Amino acid sequence: MERNATILAIFADSADAEAMSNYLAELPEVISVTADRSLATTLEQLAFNRIEPALTIIPGTLYPESMPLLVRYVRCCFPNTEILVIAQASAPPPSLERFMADQVRHLIVEPQQISVAAGGDFPLSLAIGNLIEKRQWTIDQYVKEGTEIREFKLTFSEEKEKIIRTLEDAIVGDSPEHEMLRHKGALLADEMLENAFYGAPRSDDGMKMFRKGERRQILPQENIAFRFAFDGETLAMEMQDGWGSLGADLVLEYLAKNSANMEAADDAGGRGLFIIWRFLDQFHVRVAPGKETLIGGHLRKSSQIPPETLHGFHITTG
Amino acid sequence: MDSSFKIVHQTRPLCNYFAMAGNIDAQAEAQLMGLPAKVNQQLVKFDFSDTGRINSMGIALLLRCFKRIKEEKKAEIQVMQVNPTNTMLFRMTGIFLLAAATKE
Repeated sequence: MERNATILAIFADSADAEAMSNYLAELPEVISVTADRSLATTLEQLAFNRIEPALTIIPGTLYPESMPLLVRYVRCCFPNTEILVIAQASAPPPSLERFMADQVRHLIVEPQQISVAAGGDFPLSLAIGNLIEKRQWTIDQYVKEGTEIREFKLTFSEEKEKIIRTLEDAIVGDSPEHEMLRHKGALLADEMLENAFYGAPRSDDGMKMFRKGERRQILPQENIAFRFAFDGETLAMEMQDGWGSLGADLVLEYLAKNSANMEAADDAGGRGLFIIWRFLDQFHVRVAPGKETLIGGHLRKSSQIPPETLHGFHITTG
Repeated sequence: MDSSFKIVHQTRPLCNYFAMAGNIDAQAEAQLMGLPAKVNQQLVKFDFSDTGRINSMGIALLLRCFKRIKEEKKAEIQVMQVNPTNTMLFRMTGIFLLAAATKE
């Protein structure tokens, strides 16, 4: 099937456009637009000419704070376009409540201005490729080609500690960065496994079926599998379950709630998901309601994005 | 290394001191929920030097435990020897809103 590969890139100003020009120059069909007074007319003209971008890239300098209605307006002109927001880690974090309202499900947070030469475009190029080609995020996309992917199909909850030890042992190195990566990797694996064991299984009325920490057998139809890969720099990991009980809107709601009000965090749901998101450099969730949930992402040994700040995410369905 | 959770309690001059050893997760519930009853000083110190992983359930239990100490015992809470990963975790989950980090 032929894909519509047109990308619409909306920039706040010329400096914003310049920061991404090197990368976008290599893409075949990019329409660059500056958000000046003629923005509405320009978008309407594109729509009138039946140009329907598959992807619209919006900078965090514009949305949501400066132009909160921008996504709604873009979707009025181009109902089927995917929205990808790129924010700078050094800038004030964007409001996730607005993301929730507009169902914006793709965010990349760059530690500094995107530098192609420094390999800083990696999450961006991956996101553009996946969104244009309608591909899902998978852990092999995060690590060097040929890196072994370890897979564990779970049958008992007690297998958690053995899997975590295997992951820690795979991160070989004595530097403080290796030690930190082992700690973070172990915590992420713990949260992912606990979520699959105790968060995902729900009864018909949506209630949790198991209490956290209880010993339980995993039934084959639950299809719970944990995978990880480490290429010496990047640790990629993902957890799959056959419940599909996590809604895409609920994911954003959990991230927003836990980001906004730490004092109420004791009572907020989704703290485990929030921790996974903040400890990964880039986080992906794929939900097929009633069939499957996949939670994953990657973390670099030399990660520059502290967990205390907002991190990128991709939330997809189907 | 034994990663099962244990709390060692010492009464020191003018404070209660609790050393938290092992991973803090759902298995720590009974011990952490029983801890506020042992507080009888106005200063409570938690030593995390022998603590391993703290997952989201462990964070929930620590938040509940610390809130009860503050509300029921009106005591000040200090935490010490928290490793870098757990420090990040405490910052992003509100633990430091209830307990101050200290060196001693």
